[in-house]
Parts: sequence; C-alpha cells; structure tokens
Amino acid sequence: MQNLVTNSAQQTGQNAPVLPTYANDISIWNHMSDALHQSLYRVLTLLIAMLPGILAFFVALVIFAVAGVVVSWILRRCLIWAKFDLRIARKSGTDWTPTTSPTDIIARASFWVCVFLGLIIGVSAFDTSYATGTALPISLLPYLTRAVSAVLLLVAGILMARFLARSVLISAVNAQLQYARFLSLGVKWLVLVLTAAMVLDHLEVGGNIVELAFGILFGGIVLTLALAVGLGSRDLVSRSLESRVEHTGERTHTPEETANAGESLRHF
Amino acid sequence: MATANPISDDTSAAQPATADLVVFITAMPAEQFNGVLVNLENTFSLKDVIVATQNQLPADTATNLRIIPAPPSNSLWMLKPADFMGAAQSGLEHEAKAILILGPGADSLNSLALGNLANAVLTTSIDLALPHYSLPPHAGLINSAILYPLTRAVFASSVRFPLSIDLGLSPRMTERLANAAKRIPENHPGEALLWPVNEAVAAGFTLNEVDVGSRAMPQPSDPDINAILALVTGSLFADLEAKAALWQRPRRAPVTRRTATQAAPSSGSADVAGMVAAFQLATANLQEIWSLVLPPNSLLMLKRCSVLDAAEFRLPDNLWARIVFDFLIAYRLRTINRGHLLGALIPLYLAWVAGHINVTASGTPAESHIEAVAAAFEADKPYLVARWRWPDRFNS
Repeated sequence: MQNLVTNSAQQTGQNAPVLPTYANDISIWNHMSDALHQSLYRVLTLLIAMLPGILAFFVALVIFAVAGVVVSWILRRCLIWAKFDLRIARKSGTDWTPTTSPTDIIARASFWVCVFLGLIIGVSAFDTSYATGTALPISLLPYLTRAVSAVLLLVAGILMARFLARSVLISAVNAQLQYARFLSLGVKWLVLVLTAAMVLDHLEVGGNIVELAFGILFGGIVLTLALAVGLGSRDLVSRSLESRVEHTGERTHTPEETANAGESLRHF
Repeated sequence: MATANPISDDTSAAQPATADLVVFITAMPAEQFNGVLVNLENTFSLKDVIVATQNQLPADTATNLRIIPAPPSNSLWMLKPADFMGAAQSGLEHEAKAILILGPGADSLNSLALGNLANAVLTTSIDLALPHYSLPPHAGLINSAILYPLTRAVFASSVRFPLSIDLGLSPRMTERLANAAKRIPENHPGEALLWPVNEAVAAGFTLNEVDVGSRAMPQPSDPDINAILALVTGSLFADLEAKAALWQRPRRAPVTRRTATQAAPSSGSADVAGMVAAFQLATANLQEIWSLVLPPNSLLMLKRCSVLDAAEFRLPDNLWARIVFDFLIAYRLRTINRGHLLGALIPLYLAWVAGHINVTASGTPAESHIEAVAAAFEADKPYLVARWRWPDRFNS
C-alpha cells in the first residue's frame, strides 16, 4: 500500500500534492461485500433446500386432512345406515348421548387418524428433503420432535392441574374449610409450575437457572400451603376429634336410646 | 338336654329339603341373629321354612328351624349383589315359593311384620313385597330427599323405601335380581347396589308395600355423608341411565293402597345453622362447577336462598326437583367427572335437609313435606324427559 502511494507521488511529480488513494478501503468493502453475498447465498440456498420439504409437509397434511374428512363422512353414513348406535345400545344397555354416540366417536377417530398419518408422512417428506448429502445443519428436526412432545406434556399438565384443583375445591368445601378456594388455587399452581419446569427441562431451555427457580418457587408454594393448612385447620382437627368421640358413644347406645336422644340426623 | 346342631355336616349327595319359604339372613351380630331366629320360630310353621344364613349358630342356641349355610358376603348395612345371588341359589335348591331376605338389624322386626312380608308373596302372588318402615322424622333423609321422589317420578312407583334391606321375593323376582347381580363387575364398587323396584318395573312384575312398623336401621361404620351420598345416588343414577328407554314412556302412578303409620312428631332441633353455613360456603365457592350443571334460573334461585336466615331457610320443592334432574342429566352426559359431580351435590342436599327440618319444626308433618317433594318431582318429569332427549337446551 505504501508503494502505491509512493508510485502515485512519483507519477504526479515532486511538487504536486499527494492525493490519498482508497484502494485499501475498496478492498475492505469488497471483502465485506463478498462475505455478505456469500452468507446471503448460503441462507438462500438453505431456504431453497428447505422449501420443498416444508411444502411437502403441508401438502401431505392438507391432502390427508381432506381424505380424513371424506373417510369420516363415509364411515358416519355407513354406520348410521347400519344402525350401529342402536345395536351397541342394545348390547351394552347404555343410552348414548347424541354428541358422544359410537358413530360420532368412530367418525372423529378416523378423521384424526388420517390427520396423524398425514403428519407422519409430512415429517418424513420433510426429513427426506435433507437426505441429499448436503452439509446444511439439520438440527431443527430433533428440536421439532421435542417441541411436539413438550406441547403434549404441557396439555397433560394443564388438564391434571384443572382436575386436581376441582377435586381439592369440592373436598375442601364439603369439609367446610373457609379457605377452600385458596387451597384449590395453590394446588393448581403447584401442578402448573411443575409442568412448566418439566417442559422447559425437556426443551433444554435455561438449564440450571430453571431448576433453581423451580425449586425456589415450588418450595415457596408448598411452605405457604403448609402454613395456611396448619394454622387454619385447628378447628377442623378439633371438630374431627369431637365427631369421633360422639360416634364412639353412639355405637354403645341401644336403638331405643338413640331414638329418644333428641334429633340425631340419619342420612340413611 | 343338648340339642343337636341343626346345621348338618353330612356332605353326602342327599336330596335338598323343600320348603314353601326360604329365609335368607345376611351377616349380622350374634344377638341380632338369635332374635331373628326367635321371631321366625314364632311366626312360621317349622316345616314350611328353611333358613339360609351366613351367620354361625352359637353352640348354646337352641332352635328347631332348619338352617343351612349360605355363601358369605360383605354386607354390613345394605344388601349387596352377592346376597341376591345367594338367596336365588337357596330358593332354587329348595324349590321355594317365596324368598324372604332379612338384612342386619332384622331382629327389631316383630313376628307380625315378618309374617305379612312373607304372606304378601305366598298368598297374594306379589312378586316383590317391600316393607314400609316407621322411622323417626329425621331418619332416612337421603331416601326422603332423592331415592323415593326420583323413583316415584321416574317409574311411577309409590314405594316409600325403594332401597329396603328386607324384601319378600317371588322365585322369578329373585332370579331376575340374581341375574342383574351377576352383570355387576366386581371392580365397580360405585355400582354395587341393586334396585329391586326398578328391576320389578322393568320386568313388568307386581310389587306392593307392607307396613312393618319400626325397625332399627343399620348404619355404616364410617358415617361420612360424602361417601354415602356418592355411593347411593351414583348407583341410582347409573341404574336410571341404563333403564332410560323404559322410564321415558308415560306411566300412570298406581293408587296408594297402604295406610302409613304416623311417625312420632319431631322435637328439638338439629344443626340447621351448620348445614345452611355449608350451603352458603358452597354457593360462594362452587358457582363455577354448578354453572356447568344447572341452568341460570336455578343458579339464581340458589343465590336467593343463600341469603336467607338459617331459621327461615327452605329450598323450594320444585327447585330441588330440578336440581336432582339436572344432576342426573349431567351424570349421563359426563359434563364433569362423576365423582366431582356427586361431591358438588352434597351441599345442595344439606340445604334440602336444613329446609326439611325447618318445615317439620314449623308444625308440618315430615311425611306431608316428603309427599309434596315427591309430587314436585312427578310434576317436573316432562322437564327431565325433555332435557334427556335434548341435553343442550335449558329452556323448557
């Protein structure tokens, strides 16, 4: 570069001012431009390589979904014609509801089987588009399967949380606990926090930070619930002990004494 | 003089004895069993009756009755399917014309009651004879609140105690109940109850009630209302679901032929305030669950009831009828988990009990109020049928 400056000074003469040259800067720009072009080319190539696979995935899914609708419709018609519900009701002695009849269940199941089949074929087509020996990274595919299982885990956790929350709420209300709703919410959030931690761990997101945060949060909720139950259930424990003593005393009564001993409710 | 043990140890293939009446006695404490044997000896001719029992005859007990062993069952406070199967087997083996099943505490039934129960089947060709007990005013509340009104509305049967633990059965009725018992899976404890009235109506058999006076009703060892209500009500709901095609046909209620003995008037007061408080707590916490089962107008009426004072608290009869019908519909549709559904019914049942106690305390006879509740159930049967057929409609 120094030589270039010197040569240009010699060419223009000793007394003439030396004009700076930008040949090195242009070279930097060229290199940068080349790098950008190459990365753009790689990304576009990756996208172009992925596009057929993505397109194949959606085409397979749509085709099998449409096929599922057709199969479901044909099955429903055939089962209605064969009076399938009536035959099943006669055999099992159960009166089916209109929305959960065997015909409806079978038709829906056939539709979702076709959709699931389309999903598998689509994923397989997506995977095949990468089996061409290219050096492109295909780390997305394993992560995609993990994401699907994480979604299933999340759905199962949410359903479990709702079921347990409702069970606790009803039991606590029937036990005449004033903080029944609080207890129910606590159980629900316990299960949801546990589910969220499992999902993040399954996706390998966060690592130790997630584990630590979960431990702190879960332990905090459990401690809060334990304090609430321990401090608030003293009346319940004393009532339970009193009812046990009364029940033991009732067992020693004769039927006549029990009948004359005021208003003891007999639910059965 | 020692009396030979009437339970024979002879295992040879002898011809089983025949008798007009087989009395099947379920498991009960020894003193009750002795009392039953004494009453049976005083009631029936020895040659006409055979006693099949799960109880061991004590060595110091002398009786001239013919006693045979029966297969054991786990019945402690109600009849189980195994009892019906054992009774059917005993009746078939001895070619009986009538089978009398006596549950725990049957020693409190006098000889006249036992005789009437057996003779209803032997002499008047009734297939199912059910006892009408004279219980204290606040006993058998689940039966008064749910079992009797629901059975009366659905099957047009005026039997006051559809889940009796003492029954008089004809051979064909016993066989039908035994067949129904065999269909119950062993791993379904929630459905391990048979409903003789429902089975008799389904088969087109004749049934009648017999006044038997007072009786000591056995109580479960764990008197947890949650478990009892869920077991009994869930079993009835399941049976009604299975027989839906039968009870949706229009039926005419039979004329009541019995004259009920008046129970002793109520005195004192039970824990009405506690039950009302439980209902109010449930109203505050279970609205979300009730809204899945009950229509808006029922929810509104429940909210209005929740602000009533404990001394004036009462659940209207037609509201209670609709609540039971809506829970039956939800049981069938599996709107929510069935265990949750029956758990959510408990505060409403306690509300009815509180209202019933207040009504009886105000001077109205308990039986009158129960009959009014049953009439409300009958009047609202079209609502049940309409919702059964079109479950998504709340307006009918």
